[in-house]
Amino acid sequence: MKVLLVEDNERVARFVARGLRESGHVVDHADNGRDGMSLAAQGPYDTIIMDRMLPGQIDGIAVIEAIRKSGSQTPILILSAMSDVDERIRGLRAGGDDYLTKPFAFGELLARLDALTRRARAASAATCLKVGDLQMDLLSRKVTRGERAVALLPREFKLLEYLMRHADQVVTRTMLLENVWEYRFDPQTNLVDVHISKLRQKIDLESERPLLRTVRNAGYRMSAGD
Amino acid sequence: MIRSSALTLSVGYVLLGIVALVLFATPLWYAWRVSVNGGRTELLQEDAQRLSAIFQNRGADGLARFIDERIGLQIANERILLLADASLKPLAGNLPQWPSGVPEQPGTYTVSISVAGREIRAGLVRTALPGGYTLLVGRDVARLRPLEKSFWYGLAGAAGIFSLVGLIGGLLVRRVVLSRIDRINQTAARIMQGDLSHRLPLSRRDDEFNTLSRIINRMLDQTEQLVHGVRNVSNSIAHDLRTPLTELRSRLEELVILRPPNEEALAEIEAAVADVDRVIDIFNALLRLSKIDAGAGRSEVVEVDAADAAAKAVEFYQPSAELKGISLTFEERGEAPILGDPVLLAQAIGNLIDNALKFTPENGSIAVETRRRENGAVEITVADTGPGIPEAEKPRVIDRFYRGDASRGTPGAGLGLSLVGAVAKLHAGSLELFDNHPGLRARMILSGMA
Repeated sequence: MKVLLVEDNERVARFVARGLRESGHVVDHADNGRDGMSLAAQGPYDTIIMDRMLPGQIDGIAVIEAIRKSGSQTPILILSAMSDVDERIRGLRAGGDDYLTKPFAFGELLARLDALTRRARAASAATCLKVGDLQMDLLSRKVTRGERAVALLPREFKLLEYLMRHADQVVTRTMLLENVWEYRFDPQTNLVDVHISKLRQKIDLESERPLLRTVRNAGYRMSAGD
Repeated sequence: MIRSSALTLSVGYVLLGIVALVLFATPLWYAWRVSVNGGRTELLQEDAQRLSAIFQNRGADGLARFIDERIGLQIANERILLLADASLKPLAGNLPQWPSGVPEQPGTYTVSISVAGREIRAGLVRTALPGGYTLLVGRDVARLRPLEKSFWYGLAGAAGIFSLVGLIGGLLVRRVVLSRIDRINQTAARIMQGDLSHRLPLSRRDDEFNTLSRIINRMLDQTEQLVHGVRNVSNSIAHDLRTPLTELRSRLEELVILRPPNEEALAEIEAAVADVDRVIDIFNALLRLSKIDAGAGRSEVVEVDAADAAAKAVEFYQPSAELKGISLTFEERGEAPILGDPVLLAQAIGNLIDNALKFTPENGSIAVETRRRENGAVEITVADTGPGIPEAEKPRVIDRFYRGDASRGTPGAGLGLSLVGAVAKLHAGSLELFDNHPGLRARMILSGMA
């Protein structure tokens, strides 16, 4: 995956670029809005990581607006030290696709980037989700693991749906909080883990091959393979 | 400044009073004049008619005799009486000759006439009698001048007394006002020097100064509270951030000194990252609180159903409660719509439940309840069976960072209830803490954002 990183802080840029390269991505870096804009125009990129505040005349929001005006649909993840709801809304309105507040964990950044590019690739309209022998019928709202019917509470269903829609990706706790519960705050306790472990008890019986796995320091991944 | 303003005020009042006096006296004077003039004219006309009747009965000689008799009797010699023949030669009366300046035609006049070089301003009634005789009945108006004069003198005197009383009164008021303002100034000066505990004195009379003093005192109460709060917060920030930062620092320094093998080093570094996350959490919570306090987040105002939000939060915390063997129940009593910030409300309810979960022992119970009051306000109550909060500590737990002795050693930045308090305040409401016998019953009462 080819990523454009527009970030003026050298240390943060190095940290993000190194991490992305280690995950097998190609990274171009610009440390100001003007360079970022010209790189974005030259290149096709799979995704753009844009710092909200950039030195000089052109800040991140302006770059995003320019990119969107040129007709590009490249998914953009905004990085910002401003955590206000207003700032988030402004960034998303300008054409950003997701918003991550600094400081962040690299796992969080990677997971969100992954979710963004897949979302761009396939905005699935499927009525049936499938991971290994786990099936979810979105119309009848029935879940089966092989031959076995799995009875879920409404919220557990929503949680599983999100995980299955992002199969083979790392999904962080924050992503789950935001998308399953629509909570934009950190409850400071391990509640997401508790919900996940309850869900796991229902879909992964001891005799079965585990589908829902914990990814250390990042979150969870739903996957049929290893 | 104050001195001159008090003086200006009293002088202004006096001037205003004099203007009022003049305005009041003018119509009075006018009415008096009209009635006196009118009365005079009528009297003169009556007199002229009576004399005419005498002329009819007794003839010119009879009238002349009557007039002479009357003049002889008259005490106040203000009446002008004159009977003249066809050539205006006086037959009887108190004027030596026919005066000049009397209009030719019979009628009622007020004119200046002159008799033997004497100028008289007079009201006159000229009557033509049969046989060419003319009767003149009149009155010397100038004789009324002293009366007018005394009217105006009286008025001027009144104005003078009024001014004097006004000035003395103004000076007295000034002294009273000044002394009270002086006291306010002195207190303010002392407060400016940094002693926020001083308050303006209140007098027994419930006057405007008392109202002003009370308002200023209330302002001072708030300022003192804020200053106190800021001091507390900086102390608490120092404490709560210093702890994880100290751990972090010693962890990193140990790594440098001990240079442990890779595996161990990795674990230490991960622990260091967790330390940093704790610092970030506290920091974020603080930022959010200060934003709520500043009344920000108002852009997010929508109608929120508190019952819905509470149900969702209860569902969210349910697994955690089950793990601890606590029964977490929700009792909804109909919809509880309110204008507010959905994110903050969700967080406030979450904090209340989270708090209850932290302190409720195993096999305890937590009951969440939402209710709409008759006045439209919404109540969200979270009642637990934990240790509760001692009465003395209740006001303080809503303080930022305050942690009761019971909570030492439990996780959390001590910001939970203060955030709930701040959110309640933002929604024009309050957070109240009651005893649940045993346990704590925390209740948010929200009126909603405007």
